[in-house]
Formats: sequence, structure tokens, C-alpha cells
Amino acid sequence: MTRVKINELKPLKPRYEVPDVLIQEPPTEPLSLLSQDENGVVLSLGAESQRVIVSARPFRLDIMEGHEVLMSLNSRGLLAFEHLRTRKDTFSYKVTSTVASVWDNIKWVFSSSQADPDAEKKEEADPANQADEAEVEEKVEEGMWEETFKSHSDGKPNGPSAVSLDFSLPGVEHVYGIPEHADTLKLKTTDGDPYRLYNLDVFQYELYNPMALYGAVPVMLAHNSQRTTGIFWLNAAETWVDISSNTAGKTVFGKMLDYVQGSSETPQTDVRWISESGIIDVFVMLGPTPQDVFSQYASLTGTQAFPPLSALAYHQCRWNYNDQEDVQSVDAGFDQHDIPYDFIWLDIEHTDGKRYFTWDPHKFATPKEMLRGLMDKRRKMVAIVDPHIKVDTNYKIHNEIRSRGFYIKNKDGGDYEGWCWPGNAGYPDFTNPEMRTWWASMFAYDQYEGSMENLYTWNDMNEPSVFNGPEVTMHKDAVHGAVEHRDLHNLYGFYVQMATAEGLIQRSGGVERPFVLTRAFFAGSQRYGAVWTGDNAAEWDHLKVSIPMCLSLSLVGISLCGADVGGFFKTPSSELLVRWYQTGAYQPFFRAHAHLDTPRREPWLFGPENTALIREAVRQRYALLPYWYQLFYHAQRTGHPVMRPLWVEYPQDPATFAMDDQFLLGKDLLVHPVTEEGARGVTAYLPGKGEVWFDVHTFQKHNGAQNLYIPVTMSSIPVFQRGGSIIPRKVRVRRSSACMEHDPYTLYVALNPQRTAEGELYIDDGHTFNFNKKEFIHRRLSFANSILSSINLAPEAQFSTQSWIERILILGASKPSKVTLLTDGQERQLEFEFDASMSVLTLRKPGVNAGADWTVTLQ
Amino acid sequence: MRCHIVIAAVFWSVCVDSRKIRGISLSYKRFYRERKSFLCIDGSKMIPFEHVNDDYCDCEDGSDEPGTAACPGGRFYCTNLGFRPHYIQSSRVNDGICDCCDASDEYNSHTHCPNSCSNLGQRERADVQGQMRTLDEGLRLKQQLIEEGVLLWREKQAQLRDLQQVAEDLQIKLEEHRRRKREADRLKEQTLKALETANGGLRRQNSTVTSMFQILDSNKDGSLTVDEVQANVAFIQDEERVLSEEEAVALLGGGHQMDLSMFQHTLWNSLRTGDSVKIKGPHGAPGSLVEDDPNMKAAERAAQREASSLKKVEEAYETANMEISDLRMKLTIDYGTDWEFLFLNSQCYQLKVYEYTYVLCPFNQVTQKSAVGTEVSLGKWGMWAGTPENQYSQMRYESGEPCWQGPTRNTMVTLTCGTETALRSVKEPSKCQYIMDFQTPVACQPVLKQRGIHSEL
Repeated sequence: MTRVKINELKPLKPRYEVPDVLIQEPPTEPLSLLSQDENGVVLSLGAESQRVIVSARPFRLDIMEGHEVLMSLNSRGLLAFEHLRTRKDTFSYKVTSTVASVWDNIKWVFSSSQADPDAEKKEEADPANQADEAEVEEKVEEGMWEETFKSHSDGKPNGPSAVSLDFSLPGVEHVYGIPEHADTLKLKTTDGDPYRLYNLDVFQYELYNPMALYGAVPVMLAHNSQRTTGIFWLNAAETWVDISSNTAGKTVFGKMLDYVQGSSETPQTDVRWISESGIIDVFVMLGPTPQDVFSQYASLTGTQAFPPLSALAYHQCRWNYNDQEDVQSVDAGFDQHDIPYDFIWLDIEHTDGKRYFTWDPHKFATPKEMLRGLMDKRRKMVAIVDPHIKVDTNYKIHNEIRSRGFYIKNKDGGDYEGWCWPGNAGYPDFTNPEMRTWWASMFAYDQYEGSMENLYTWNDMNEPSVFNGPEVTMHKDAVHGAVEHRDLHNLYGFYVQMATAEGLIQRSGGVERPFVLTRAFFAGSQRYGAVWTGDNAAEWDHLKVSIPMCLSLSLVGISLCGADVGGFFKTPSSELLVRWYQTGAYQPFFRAHAHLDTPRREPWLFGPENTALIREAVRQRYALLPYWYQLFYHAQRTGHPVMRPLWVEYPQDPATFAMDDQFLLGKDLLVHPVTEEGARGVTAYLPGKGEVWFDVHTFQKHNGAQNLYIPVTMSSIPVFQRGGSIIPRKVRVRRSSACMEHDPYTLYVALNPQRTAEGELYIDDGHTFNFNKKEFIHRRLSFANSILSSINLAPEAQFSTQSWIERILILGASKPSKVTLLTDGQERQLEFEFDASMSVLTLRKPGVNAGADWTVTLQ
Repeated sequence: MRCHIVIAAVFWSVCVDSRKIRGISLSYKRFYRERKSFLCIDGSKMIPFEHVNDDYCDCEDGSDEPGTAACPGGRFYCTNLGFRPHYIQSSRVNDGICDCCDASDEYNSHTHCPNSCSNLGQRERADVQGQMRTLDEGLRLKQQLIEEGVLLWREKQAQLRDLQQVAEDLQIKLEEHRRRKREADRLKEQTLKALETANGGLRRQNSTVTSMFQILDSNKDGSLTVDEVQANVAFIQDEERVLSEEEAVALLGGGHQMDLSMFQHTLWNSLRTGDSVKIKGPHGAPGSLVEDDPNMKAAERAAQREASSLKKVEEAYETANMEISDLRMKLTIDYGTDWEFLFLNSQCYQLKVYEYTYVLCPFNQVTQKSAVGTEVSLGKWGMWAGTPENQYSQMRYESGEPCWQGPTRNTMVTLTCGTETALRSVKEPSKCQYIMDFQTPVACQPVLKQRGIHSEL
């Protein structure tokens, strides 16, 4: 990894450097000087044959491996750094040319993985160079010192302060990431309309569009068949990303012609990043595999928080469940219709006049009684807590924030106020650590009246949303201590979720894992909980785009992603609703939600047939929870995404590079949801030459590396298990995930053509941090030479479970004459059934504890 | 052979029938008589008897695991001695939640379930007794209301007949009054004409024409100009406003000036009728002299008197007709087979829920009044919308006030049996879709014998 950091040498005031996003200051590693001349240096980047060539005039930086250029910085000379300045009364004044002098003022740091203070290499300004600079007259352009947008004005005390840098990616045609945009997985060339990163509360967002949405992760991945790399632009100000490509617009025929004629031009993607303020601080992640890039990025910003198991189950939400009786009747409805759910959600109307941390005195008069009722069913609740605070001297939260001076200030020094749900509202300064500590303390059971341990939190509107602000957000010249809002805008939501998650951890004395959903986010938000794609709509295209939107988030570390099932705005047809449940059941965060103005849409309101279809989709989710949980355990450990684009697992198969109508869960399940109205069939691409895939419903085997047409009915959810994998399920689906805690496992062993398979089983208590204290079971399941065995992957860990192995299905098996189980020195024979038509061998009741060592031998 | 099997069966039932199979009802016991093997109840598979309730699902229909959670879609029988027995989904066995009041579903979980069957049984018996009392009382009240309804129906019919009679009478009266008014008008006209003839109306008229012309002709040049018209003439509706040049030109017959003879044929007529323009200031209408005549005055008074009495009769007739159509409309509504719902007509029932007061006026409308007093219509009477078996179990009120960005408000009222007639609850499950629970004796339906309390085992 290479970090390039460029700052002003002597700025008028310190330029903002994003804090708290990196989990630690990355250790540095000494660079050895390979060669040097008057215009540059060649440095070795550690172990591999990777070098960085730094050229002075013009400044550029090329990262090489062998003879291959992996990435070039400033090869197009778009480096720009607008320095801070004081306003002069005259209309023009003399300054040194920005473009040329940037070089004089750079300071860069290369870092890879080892600490060494000597590695920091400072290029001090060279006076000889400076003498060459022609003094040019800088024109005062409109908007330099003040900008107006509609009726809003933005004062800029230090003038324009943008930074920009370009990156060239030779050999790259596919770039991904930089969420959040409602766009395809593969980013498009932008042609003058760049992707924008600026957290905004967008009303009814448009699809396939580079416009900014609720969150921003300034991380881009670049991929070709040989290598995956990444760029992390650590800047929290408004940011724009321009993408161009020398192959864009070329037809397939044109590309083929190039190939046939041996065109010398290699494909290349050029990217330019521009931020309104802050510094240039960029991490270049060199892979080479996608997994390497994930690990490299995780080493910077951390991994996905390990959610409580129940958070991976089904969530029932609506704006709003009207009162306690309503909550109770919806809860009863799920039992009556035998549909499992774990969380019921309360939106803003549950509060006393949109004062968060309070309850409507009539509609939710006895919240603990309600929460106890849910607890009796082993279910949970999420209540919304937004960051805008009603300005009301009878409201404790407001009074405390005001008296402690915790509100964000306007440019004139008063408390910044804007309009949001409660009317006039203040915005706590979550960038202030004291404020965050205080906020976290508000979640204590004795502070948040009516809260209990099965109440969790949802942070909405944390872009922040300001109804009467420019673009429905905060004025850029609002002030956080000494820092302008413009410098850290995209970080606000990150901090809100951070403080809230901390509150939920603290209220349990650090024992229980929190669950917090956020709408706004930044790089590193994965450490604090879940993200959803905001206020989507009940339209088929919104269902489709939920896949690339969550894939893009997954690629940049945020695995716990979901879209509102059914669509937030508008009313879904029952077909769309069913298809959305079927899709959502296989996406990480599975929550149905609906707008206040739409008719009710609990799963049983669309006739018995649709109720049955939805029930089946939700049940499939619950049965698969052990696998989901295991994937999130790994995401937490390694930073590898849970929901993956196909190319991540098949990086050399160009057919997968732009695919975003299907995805993988882990590496073993391939999901191709039906997202077309009136679909009679879908064509799924099963990757992997020489591999096989098993339909998880019929167990039919299909060969890899083919486009498979699958006829579908309303009940179809095309899902395939990779041959060579073992997936655990709990098929006794009950009312909530907690009810299934002690249930036995069924193992689905899908054999590859070599007749082997591997999988894992991860078990812990499902809700505490005790897994950090080695209280878990982690086993490797492997099948080879007709022997299936369970081996302890974590012998140092301790946990006991009541769960046992109920059944083992071996897909693609042949009929054995005898099956024996060996455990604890005892051998016994297992009964089995063999379905010759699908080659499925079912072993009856091995009965061994899921944490035990055992082997099963087929003879 | 057959004989042999029967003997074997008897033998087994005698010897080992005492073993209890968990989770089955008495009536299913015959499927679980202990033998070497067990036939799934759907007949699909034969399994060793030890596999019954061994916590592994063997039968497609779940019949081998009536007492465990092993089979998806299976069911567990709660005996619930002292209360009602019932089935629960097998997924609720040992899930840590007490479902059977006899605690039999949580025989292997960490949850301690108390046996609450006798309490529940008592409570249910009390409830059922209460319900039965309510039902008896309700049905008695309903009978009264039916009788009242029939009377009310007759009364309304009589009222309709009366109203129709009144209307007929009024119609006759109306014709008489119309005739009398025509007569009075004719008399007035005659008087006016006679007066004009007798007074040499034409001369007077001419002299009046002349004098009026002179008033208007400020500079006395024998010709009226635009300026003079603007200075002296005004619209009746808006005296203050000065006429525009176009308006003045129009009054001058399209030209910029006019002489006396032209005046007599154009502007004079307008001024004399006095319905659009008039002379500014104290000059008044040109025909005022005629009105001073006592005969004329008497004739006008008579005409006015007749006009106003005609109006009164007309109004009375209209009112009567409106009442008739109103009543007819009401009588076309379906008030139930025995007119038992008729008494609800013209009644209103209200209920306060949080900050709103809801008012249900059956067969008319539903409204919502907020604390600050704004009233919103939640729907007008639409139709009966109950089940095919009992269409009178629900009422639908529709086309209330439109919602912001949405459809119009509507309300579904469910009628339940009770001894009083009252609005019991109001909910708004989705925006602008209201549901009400309305209790009334007339919703009570006679039922066959209430299901008894379980006494099996």
C-alpha cells in the first residue's frame, strides 16, 4: 500500500485532516532508494518487485511492478491545490501560480506496513525552482469568497480551497465502488457529469445517475484479469470523481478489430478526484487479488461490526406502527400466519412530538410493557433516534446539549438551527468527542426512559437533513469548533452512528453487541452497524438497483446492507412485493419498510397465495441464518464482503466483470433473484470452468461456465450451491431466530467433480462480545475420499452448544453400501436414504454435538 | 390371514397401549398403537416404531413427530386439561415460549411455564357466560328495536304520505298565487300606461329628454361630447369610477358627440331604464315623476305583495319536495331484513381517541374533529360491505375528504353485538383508511349452542 499525502506547507490555518476514520495511524516502512537523477527518484516498495518512480518536473508518480505500470498519479497533470488566503480589498492581487507551486509545497509519505519514522520523506521547497515561477495575476472569480445557492449563501473565509489529483490505470476497463449512487456495479465513464460524493437527503432519488445520495465512501476498486487495485481518497468534504476511458464508447466490434489488428493501445481508465477542501491524502492499494485489496482496506478502516445474529433475521418496519396495540396486533399477525420475524420497528411518530428518546404519552404510554411483550416472544424492537434535536426548553436533551455548548454553530457563533421533523431543531456536534460521550450516555437504561435490552436504534436523517438548508442539508459555513462544516460534511453521519453504537455497548456494560442502522455513512462506518439504501420506491427498477447498490457498498467494506423491501415510496403490486421479499431474503440486511401515505402491507394482506410465497421466502432466510452468521463472522475477522460480485471469486473471468443482476453470498451460494415483472424465466450465469452448481431447491446439478436458462414461477428464487462446498442450515424454522438457538443443524454437502467439499460451522452465543474472549465454536467440515469430518479450527476457543447434527445431505453422491459415524471413540452405523434421480444421499440423524469431533465414512 | 392381524392388533393394544405418545389427541391415538413399525398417517412410508417422536422427521406429513419440533408443518396437541385443547405448530415445541396453558409444549427447554389452564378455563367460562348474557340481552333488545323499527318504518311511510299531501296542496296554492301575481303585474303595467297617456307622456318625456340633455350638455353647445359624458354619467354598480373613453364613446352610440335627437334614441333609453348607467349627483332617474302618482304607487305595492307571497309559497313547496326526496332516499337504504337498523338513521355516535373526536352518523357520514375544531369528512354512507353470510356485519363510508397526495378518506365500520349502541374504537391502520368498531344489539345474531369447555381426559 502506498500513501500519498499532500498538504500546504504553511497554511493560514491548519487544513482539515480526516480523523477517526483510520483505525490506527498506518505503520510505515522504509523505502530504499534504487536510483536517482536530477528530475526524480526510483524507490523500492518493499518485498515484491514493486517500485515507485517519482518525477519532479512535471510532477508525476508511477507505481510499477516489473516492467508494468500499475498506476500513475498526476500523469495528466491535474494535480491542483488551492491554498488558503485572506481576502484582499482589491479586485486582483499577485500570487504565485498555484499549479506550478504545488510541487514546491508537497509533502508525501510512503507507507506500507512497518513502523519507521525515517521513512517519511519530505521534499522541501527548492528555491531554485521557485525563481523560475512567473508571477501571474490571479483573477477574482465569481464565487471565490461567497457563493449563493437559491436563497442560501455560503461565506468562504479563506477563499476557494479545493484539491485535485488524477490517477491513470493502464490495462483497466472496470472500476467499482465510490458509493453511494443508484447506479450499475461497474462505474460508467462520466463525460463531464462526475460521480458526486456529498451526503444528502434526496427526495425520490433517480436511478442510473451519478448524483450524490445519503452516504459516501471515497474508495474505488479497479480490476482486470491480472490484478485488483484500490484507491482510497481520505477526504470528507464534497468530492467529485471523474472517470474516463480510452475504450469507452468503442463497440465490441471495435475492440475486436483492435485485437485482430494488434492495436498498440492498451485499454486504460483515467480517474480524477476533486474535493472542495481538506488535503490530498490517498491510499493506493495494490492487491493483487480482490481479497488482498479487501484486507488492505480493512487494515486502514476496520472491518464490519459483527452483528447480533437476530439482526441478520427479518425486520418488520413501517412509518408508522401507530400505537402499542398496533404493535401487538402486527406481532400476533406474524404468529397467526406462521411467518418468523425478529425485529419490529418504530419510526418517528412513536416519539412525543419528534423529541427523540421519548415516547408519545398516549400511543406509547407503557413502552416497557410493550417491550416485555416482545421479549416474551423472544423478539426485539428498533426505535428511531435522529440527530436533529427539537429546540424546546421543556426538552431535557435539548437543554443539556445547549447548556454544554454541544450544538454546531453558525458562522456568526450562535447555535445553528434548521428545520426538520420537529420543526426548529439544533444539530449536536458529533465531531466533538465529549459530545459523543454524552450522547452515548443517553442510551443508558436509566436515561432513556422506557428502553430495555431488546430495544435497539435507528439513526435516520444524519446526512444531516436540514429541510430549509441548501440541498436539504447543512450550510457549509456552519462551524464545528474550529472546523467548517464544508471540511467534514461527509463524516457527520459516521459520527452519529459511532456515538449511538457506543451508547448501546455501554448500556450493557460492554457485554452486548449493538445494532444501529444508519442512512448516512463514510469510510469506516462498517465498524458501527448496518446501512440501508434510503428512501427507494416501489418500482421494479428500484428492486433491480438494490443489487448493485449493496454490491458497491460491500466492495468498500460495508457488508450489512439492504434496501427497503417493497419500496418506501408508492405502493407495490403483490407481484413486486413477493419478488422483493424473495430478493431481500438473500441480501444482508432484510427489512420491509413503507411510507406513511401507503396502504398497509404486512405480508398477510395480499391473499393466502402471496402470504404463502412470502412465508416461504422468509423461512428460507431463517434456515440459512447459520451460513449468514458465519459469513459475518468472517467479514468481521477479515474484511471480506458477505455479498460479493461474481468477479471477486472469478477474477479471471471477464464475463463476470460487469454482472450485477446476480451475486454470491460468501463464495458458495449464487443468487439470481427474479427482478422482472411477469418473468417466465431468468438466465443465470454459473461461473467456473470445470465446476458444478446445485440448485438448492431441487438439488439438480449444473455445469459451471455456462448461461443457464431457468424457467420460473412466482415461487422461484434461483439459488445455487457451489460444488465443493458445505453449507449448514437450521431447517426447523421458528418464530424468531432466538427460538432456534439450540436447534440442530442440517449439513448440505455439495460435491465437486473431484468428489470433495469444504465448509465451516461457526457457533457462539449470538449476541455478546464474548467471541472476542474465545467463546465460540469454529469447525472445519471437509469431505474427501468418502470421509466427511468435523475438525476444530479454533482449539483454543471454548464454547458449548446444545445443537447437534440432525441430518447430512450429500449432493452429487453415489449410493454407499454402509455409512459409519465415528465420534468419541465410538463407531456406529447411520441409516441413510439415496435418491438416485438427483444423486442425493441423506444420512439420518448422526446426532453428534455440533461442537464435537466426528467423522462419517461412506463405504 | 385377516384374522391373524386382528388378533395381533388386539394383543399389542392390550399389552403396550399404556405408553404415552406425546403431542397427540385421543382421536389420533389409534394411529400410534405400538407395533414394530409405524405407518405415516398419509400412508407414504413405513418406519420403525422407535422413530416415532425420536426428534427426527421421517414422514412427509410430519406424523411421526407429533411431540417434537422435528417436522416442518407438524402439529402438537395441547391437552390443556381444564381449558380448551388445541393444536400448535410443532415449531413452537420447546422454543422457549409457553404456548400450551398446561406447559406441555416446553418439556425440554429452559423456560419454566406455569400451568395456567384452570385460570384460563375459569376466565373463559366467565367470559363465555358474559358473552352469552350479552347475547341474550342483546337479542332481547334487538327484538324491541325490530319492533320499533317496524313502527318507525310505518311512521316514516306515513310521514312521506303526509309530506306528499302537503306538497300537493302547496302545488295548488302555488298555481293560485302565480295567477294572482300575473294579475297584479298586468294591473301595474296598465296603470303606468294610463298615466303616461293621461299626462301627455310624450311631451313630458320630450321635455324631460330636453332637460336631461341640457344637464349633460355642460357647455351648452347643443352637442354631447365624450368629456361631458365622462363628467356626468356613471355606472350604477360603481358610481365612483370615471367612465373610460371607450365606454363613453359606446354610450354616445359609437361617435364622439351627439345631438338631442340622437340622444333621445340612445343614451336617454339607458338612463331612463336606469339599470346600467345614471346621471351623477342629485338628478336621479329620469322617470321619477311617474312614481309619484298615488294610483301607480298602489299598483306597485299590490304587485310586490303578490310577488312576495308567491315566493313564500314557492319556498314552502321546494322545502316539502326536498323533504320528500330526502325521506325517499332514506327509505331506499337497506335497513336490514327487519328494518332493525332503521333506528340508527338520524342518530350520531362519538368517541374521543387521543386528540381527535370521531363522529359516526350511521347511513349518513363519518367525521373527525380535531382538538382545535377543524372537521374532516372520513366518508359518506356507501354500502353494506360485510361477508356473504352476513352482509350487515360491516358498513363502508367512502369519498370523504381527499388526502394529501392520496385517495379520498374512507371508513369501514364493523358491527359487533353488545347491549348498548356505541362507537367502541377507531383506528387508522393506513393513512386515511379508518376502521371503526361499532357495538349495537341489532348486530347480535342468534347462535347455535356455544362450544363447551373441554372436559376430555
